[in-house]
Amino acid sequence: MSIVATGISKRFGDFVALDDVSLEVRRGSLTALLGPSGSGKSTLLRVIAGLEAPDSGEIVISGEDATELAPQKRGVGFVFQHYAAFKHMTVRNNIAFGLTIRKRPKAEIRERVDRLLELVQLQQFADRYPAQLSGGQRQRMALARALAVEPEVLLLDEPFGALDARVRAELRAWLRRLHDEVHVTTVFVTHDQEEAMEVADQIAVMNKGRIEQVGGPRDLYEEPATEFVMSFIGPTTRVGDGWVRPHDLVLLLDPADGTTEAMIERVVHLGFEVRVELLCADGEKMWAQLTRDRCEELELAQGQIVYVRAAEERVFA
Amino acid sequence: MTSALRRVGLRAVALTYLSAILLGPLALVFYRTFENGVGAAWDALSTPETVNAFKLTLIITAIAVPLNTIFGIACALAIVRRRFPGKGLVNAFVDLPLALSPVVVGLSLFLLYGRDGWFGWLDENGIQVLFSLPAMVIATIFVSLPFVAREVVPTLREIGDEQEQAARTLGAGSWPTFWRITLPAIRWAVIYGVILTTARCLGEYGAVAVVSGRLQGETETATLRVEERYESFDLAGAYAISIVLALIAVLVLVAMTAIRPKEEAA
Repeated sequence: MSIVATGISKRFGDFVALDDVSLEVRRGSLTALLGPSGSGKSTLLRVIAGLEAPDSGEIVISGEDATELAPQKRGVGFVFQHYAAFKHMTVRNNIAFGLTIRKRPKAEIRERVDRLLELVQLQQFADRYPAQLSGGQRQRMALARALAVEPEVLLLDEPFGALDARVRAELRAWLRRLHDEVHVTTVFVTHDQEEAMEVADQIAVMNKGRIEQVGGPRDLYEEPATEFVMSFIGPTTRVGDGWVRPHDLVLLLDPADGTTEAMIERVVHLGFEVRVELLCADGEKMWAQLTRDRCEELELAQGQIVYVRAAEERVFA
Repeated sequence: MTSALRRVGLRAVALTYLSAILLGPLALVFYRTFENGVGAAWDALSTPETVNAFKLTLIITAIAVPLNTIFGIACALAIVRRRFPGKGLVNAFVDLPLALSPVVVGLSLFLLYGRDGWFGWLDENGIQVLFSLPAMVIATIFVSLPFVAREVVPTLREIGDEQEQAARTLGAGSWPTFWRITLPAIRWAVIYGVILTTARCLGEYGAVAVVSGRLQGETETATLRVEERYESFDLAGAYAISIVLALIAVLVLVAMTAIRPKEEAA
């Protein structure tokens, strides 16, 4: 294990940011801390980095107790949402910072920075200042800066949160490729479930200062442990006391065993996917997700009566 | 009225006000100094007492400015970056010298270091504070205390602490982080603060007047010398010294404008 956090609690005044949280991160894995704002995911990351001291609990990094260790001694690389670029330094000096502090020989620094510039595709920007870069470029610079010191673990706090959608998608794919190349144990924080699903091997879903579930993207989607995980990861619709993925709702034209009668309120065409909004006989609303072909086959239209059955329904205690 | 006219009108008012209050009197002093030729002004400036007064002013400034710069930066860092009990009080106390009349400051030093004061024992043990350099330096430090801290505090708040945290995670301890990250980020605020502090030190009159004893050629600073010359009806001398003080102030102002940051970041 590369990171083992045990029983971490942290309060800010009356607010409980972390409530007895434990997490293990495998060496070389890419783990996402996923949750809504205020769920404690950033605080957990900052506790791992040593930027925040936990009220209780312990952090072990690469087998060494790091709980009392200052951030500069933990061997972590940290990437901030708003880049935290050193504004008075060129891109080259930003990336070299950690090596300069370690008083490495000039030639070695130069060579290593050149390689990193190439890795993050900023070769031609080496002598610019951060203010002359775009958001995406600044974040790539921050990543190279964190990687320069060859950290045991790389921690990223909402790294793409401040970027626009297109750059975000690009960087996401790029981060995944980078991780496959560099293999450094990586933990990143995000509130975007799609981002977590796309990039991470392992996702820890957080809510109200606790970890609700840890698992691979597919496990979380298909075997959610709690109502929160189910509704946070992927779409859901309510059926009676349970929850169903909208694509697990089966629409039939004739009544059958275990079906409920419902009227189609609206049919929304989203290209490949069609969203059908339903009003049940008991007044409850739900929605189903169909493919375009299935919708055409059934010839669904507004006002029509259909019979609904949930293929896979979950009831959480 | 059109907007162009209004703008011109506004400018005229501002300039008239400035001229009447600031430029007019200054120009008059300038004129009077050189009324009897440059030679007369030079004679007035080169008396041993006047030379000594300038020397004293410069020595006091040279001691007070570095000390207040270090204190001001440390104080600003404590106010912005640290949480400690009594922080609000410290924040308020830094401003005290701005609110307190310098004469009151001088008097309080008088009480503190006088024969019957808390530090009267210093004098009894042969360490003279009052009527000599130490008291004048202390008085000057007191009145010029807030400027660096007041300039640096808002800048520190604005830059936030993420860059410092990033430096920490990259392996920099607190001292390298301060030198390499924090100080370069606040440098313009520090320079601005230093310039204001210098100006204040050069011009200090009230507090120093009380604690110096005003011994001619010994504990008389440039500003005190102006007053002394004026009272001795040596108007030419008073004007000449004033003009040098004013010139130093103008130089400081010019330096301030020249080194103002060239908007390097957005």
